Amino acid sequence: MEVKLLTEHYDKPEFKNIEGYKKHGGYEMLKKAFKMKPKEIIEEVKASGLRGRGGAGFPTGMKWSFLPDNGETRYLLCNADEGEPGTFKDRMMMEKAPHQLIEGMIISAYAVNSTKSYIYIRGEYTQSIRTIEKAIKEAYEAGYLGKNILGSGFSHDMDVYSGAGAYICGEETGLISSLEGKKGQPKLKPPFPAVQGYLEKPTIVNNVETLAAVKYIIRDGAAAYKKYGTEKSAGTKLFSVSGDVVKPGNYEVPLGYSLKDLIEKECGGLKPGRKLKAVIPGGSSAPVLNAEESYRATMDYECLAQMGSMLGSGAVIIIDDSRCMVDLLNVILHFYHHESCGQCTPCREGTGWLEKIVTSIMSGRGRPQDIDLLDTVAQNMKGRTICALSDAAALPTISFVQKFRDEFEYYVREGRSKVTGKQLRRHNNRGHHAEMHH
Amino acid sequence: MLKCTINGKEVQVKAGATIIEAYMEAKENIAHYCWHPGLSIAGVCRMCMVEIEGNPRLQIACNTKVAEGMKINNTSAKVKESVEWTLGFHLINHPLDCPICDQAGECGLQEYYMSYGKYNPGMAEQKVKKNKVVDLGSKIVLDSERCILCDRCVRFTSEVSKTNEFGIFNRGDHAEIGTVDGMPVENNYALNVVDICPVGALTSKDFRFKQRVWYLKEFETVCNGCSTGCNIKVHFNENGLYRVKPVHNEAVNGYWMCDQGRDLYKFANKEFRQIKATKNENGHVVTLSAGAAAKEVGAMLNKSSGLALVLTGQYTSEEYNSILSYAKNLSAEIYYWKNNPESWDEFDGILYRGDHNPNTKGLELELSSAGIKAKDLKDLYSAIESGKVKTVVVAAPEVQKNYENLEEVFNKLNKADQLIWLTSGRNDLFEKANYVIPMKSFTEKKGTFVNHKGIEQKISKGVTIVSESLSLSEIVELFKGNDLVGFNIPTYERPQLLGGV
Repeated sequence: MEVKLLTEHYDKPEFKNIEGYKKHGGYEMLKKAFKMKPKEIIEEVKASGLRGRGGAGFPTGMKWSFLPDNGETRYLLCNADEGEPGTFKDRMMMEKAPHQLIEGMIISAYAVNSTKSYIYIRGEYTQSIRTIEKAIKEAYEAGYLGKNILGSGFSHDMDVYSGAGAYICGEETGLISSLEGKKGQPKLKPPFPAVQGYLEKPTIVNNVETLAAVKYIIRDGAAAYKKYGTEKSAGTKLFSVSGDVVKPGNYEVPLGYSLKDLIEKECGGLKPGRKLKAVIPGGSSAPVLNAEESYRATMDYECLAQMGSMLGSGAVIIIDDSRCMVDLLNVILHFYHHESCGQCTPCREGTGWLEKIVTSIMSGRGRPQDIDLLDTVAQNMKGRTICALSDAAALPTISFVQKFRDEFEYYVREGRSKVTGKQLRRHNNRGHHAEMHH
Repeated sequence: MLKCTINGKEVQVKAGATIIEAYMEAKENIAHYCWHPGLSIAGVCRMCMVEIEGNPRLQIACNTKVAEGMKINNTSAKVKESVEWTLGFHLINHPLDCPICDQAGECGLQEYYMSYGKYNPGMAEQKVKKNKVVDLGSKIVLDSERCILCDRCVRFTSEVSKTNEFGIFNRGDHAEIGTVDGMPVENNYALNVVDICPVGALTSKDFRFKQRVWYLKEFETVCNGCSTGCNIKVHFNENGLYRVKPVHNEAVNGYWMCDQGRDLYKFANKEFRQIKATKNENGHVVTLSAGAAAKEVGAMLNKSSGLALVLTGQYTSEEYNSILSYAKNLSAEIYYWKNNPESWDEFDGILYRGDHNPNTKGLELELSSAGIKAKDLKDLYSAIESGKVKTVVVAAPEVQKNYENLEEVFNKLNKADQLIWLTSGRNDLFEKANYVIPMKSFTEKKGTFVNHKGIEQKISKGVTIVSESLSLSEIVELFKGNDLVGFNIPTYERPQLLGGV
C-alpha cells in the first residue's frame, strides 16, 4: 500500500506555487522548527531513523552531528544531481513540490546552523531548475529566505547551481569540486565534507528526498515517522519503477515493502504473457536479483544487502524474459565507462575494458575465457578507488555473469543472443591483432 | 612519535605521518606512481595499497595516517594481487613501445612489471588512441598514450613552479594531460616534470634520443650555475656529459633544480672547452701543452713585478686558498671580478638566484681569512693604463654566458704587457692573450662550494673530459716549478671566520 507523505499533493498543480503550498500547510513546519532548538531538531532526526535517500543510506542525524564546533561558516548542499540510471524521484519532487524541498532545507539549515545552501541540480533537468528558481524567489519574497527569517534571528540564503551532465557530480565530493568551479572529480577522504567540504568549510550534503523528509519528521515527530518502515529502515521511500511493468512511475511506500507487491499491486504487474527474469532494485549500480530473489525481497536496506544487492537510490528496474542480459550489461557498462572521471587507474582503465569485452562478445568475437575475465577484472576494480563508481561498474558485472552465466556462454558459443537470437552489436574491438594472438 | 610495524619491522614516525612515509622510514619497498614527497597527495594511481591489521579493506598508504601500534604490510597475497592488477590496469592501454621510448631503463612501469608483473594481461581489445609527439615548446615532448595520469606534472606546475601550465583534459580513459590551447611549457623549472614523470610521457627535447640510459654512469655534485648550489647528479659516458638531474637536499634545493642549471653540463663538454694551452707570440698563436705553458708562465711571474691576480666566484675554496697564498708570496694585487653585483640579491622565490657564481661566499671567506681586501676591476684598468700593473693573471669564469661583459673586460685587461688567461671554456677572443691555459670544469675536480646561506658543499670529480686541464691548486704547483706527480689537493679546512651554519 502506498503511504503518501512526500507525494501527498503531487496531483495538485497549485502545490507548485507558494500560495497553493501554504493552503496545504506550507511553511507551518518552519515556524514550528524555529520554536525548537537546533540541537533538538538534530536529535529528532536522529531518533526518526532517517537515512540518506541518495544511495548510501547513511543515518542523516549522525551525518549532521559530525560537523565540528569551530565557528566556521557551514554550508548545506542539496544533491539534486539525480544521475543514477533508473532514478527520477527527485526530479518529480522538484517539479511538483518545490516548496516542500525548500522548507525541508531551511529547517535542516537551521538545525545545522548553516547560513548558505546550494541546490545542485542535474544540468539536463531544465524544468526542475526553472521551477526551483521560481520557488526560491517566491520564498525570498514571502520572507522565508534572507535575513532574520520570520523574526527568528536566523538568516539563510539559498541558490541553485546547475550541473553540466556528469554522473560523477552526484558523488558528494565530486559535487563539491564541481560547485567550487573545478573539474567534477571526487576528492580523497579523509578529510570528510562535514569537516572540510565546500571551499574547505564544514559542509553537509543531503539528497532531495532526505531534506524534504525532514519537514515531515518535524510535523509528525520522530516516533510517528519511525512507525513506517522497519526497525533499521525507517520511514517511507520513493521508488522510481521503470522497465517491463504496466504502470512504471514513482511510488511512495514504507521501507520494508514487498518487491512482489510493488510490482504487482502498485505497478500493475508485468506486461501480458511475460515472465519476470530479473530486477535491479537500487539503480543500475546495484547488483541484479533474479526472479526468485526478487519475489522474496523486501525493499529495505537490510534485506537487499543480505541478498548481496542494495537499496541505492530506489530506482527499481524490472526486467522480463524478453530481455537479453548480455545486452543489458553492455548498456550499463557503456554508461559507467562514459562517466568514469578517470582519476583512479582501476576505474579509468577497467570500465572501458569491461565494456569492450562485452561488446566483443556481442559482436560474435567472444572467447570462452572472456566470461571469467569479466568477473576477474570486476573483482579487481572493486573497493580500490576513491569513490564508488568503480564498484558501480564492477558489481553489476559480477552479478550478471554469476546469475545469468548461461546467456553469456550461449553468446560466446553461438555468436548470438540466447534470448533474441540476434547478434546485437557490430563492432570490431578485436581487430587483426587479437586474432593473431589467439 | 608514533610506533608502528611495517612488514614486521618496528619503526617510529612523527605524529601525522602517512603510512607511505613510514615505509620510506623503514626502507621497505612500496610501489607508487602518483605520490611524490615534494608534492601534495593525489591518491589516484592506487599502487601503494597496504593491509592494516584489523581493517578488512586495503588502504592506500599515501593518504592514510599512521596510528599508534598500527601493524601494516604490503607483502600479503591480497596486497600483491591488488598491486599486480592495478599495474595491469596501468598497462592495458599502454602502447608498450619501450624500444623507441626514451624512458626505457628508468621507467616505473618496467620496474614494477619486473617485480609484480610478468603475467598474461588477457587484454585482447583495441587500445585507446591518444595524442602522440605533442610539442610542448622548446623543452618538452608529450606522449599521451604512455601517460598514466598520475597528475605529478599538474601538481608540480601548480604547487612548485606556480605556473599552472598543465591540466588533465577529458575524462575516463580518454583523459589526457595537456596545456590550455597547447600553450608551451617554458618556465625555468619545466624540466622537473620530465624527472618526476614516472613513465615516458614527458621527455626532454635536450636528451631525447641522445643516449640509452643504461649506457650512462652518474656522479653527484653541486650545480655551478648560481649561489643556491643545488645538489645534482650528472649523467655521462665515454662520449661526454649528457644530462643533469637534481638530487634531494632539503636544506638546499628540496627535490628540484632550475632549467638554467640543467644546461650547464654542455659547457663542460669537449666542444665548448679550451683543450690545449696557447701562446701568442706577436700575433702568432702557438699551441703547447698546459704543463709546459704553466711552467713558462711560472718562471715569468717569479721575475716580474707589478703583478695582478683577478678572481671570480667560480672556483672552489681549496683553489682560492692555494692561489691566494701563492699571490701573497709574489706580492701580487688581488682584484675581484664581479658580474652585475647589483642583481646579486635577486631571487625568483624558488631556487634561482641573481648571483650566478657558485662560490661567492667561499671566495669572500678566503679573502678575509688571508687578510686581503680585493680591489675592484676598475682600479685595475687604471693601474694598467698608468703602467703600475704589467702582468695580469685571470682565473676566468667557467660559465661564460653568465658574464655578459666578458669581451669588454678581456679587451681592457689585454692592454697589460702580459695577460695570462686561465679558462675552462673556449673562446676565439682569448687567443689574443699572451697565454691561455686550459682549466678543469666543475665536473673534473674535487673541492668545496659555499652557497649563499653559508652551507659548505663538496663537489666531486666525476669524469675527465680535457686531459690536460688544471685546477688552480695544480697550476700554482706548476707556477712554482714543481711537478704534479704525486700531487694531492691540499685538504681544506674551513676558516673560522664566519662560523658554522
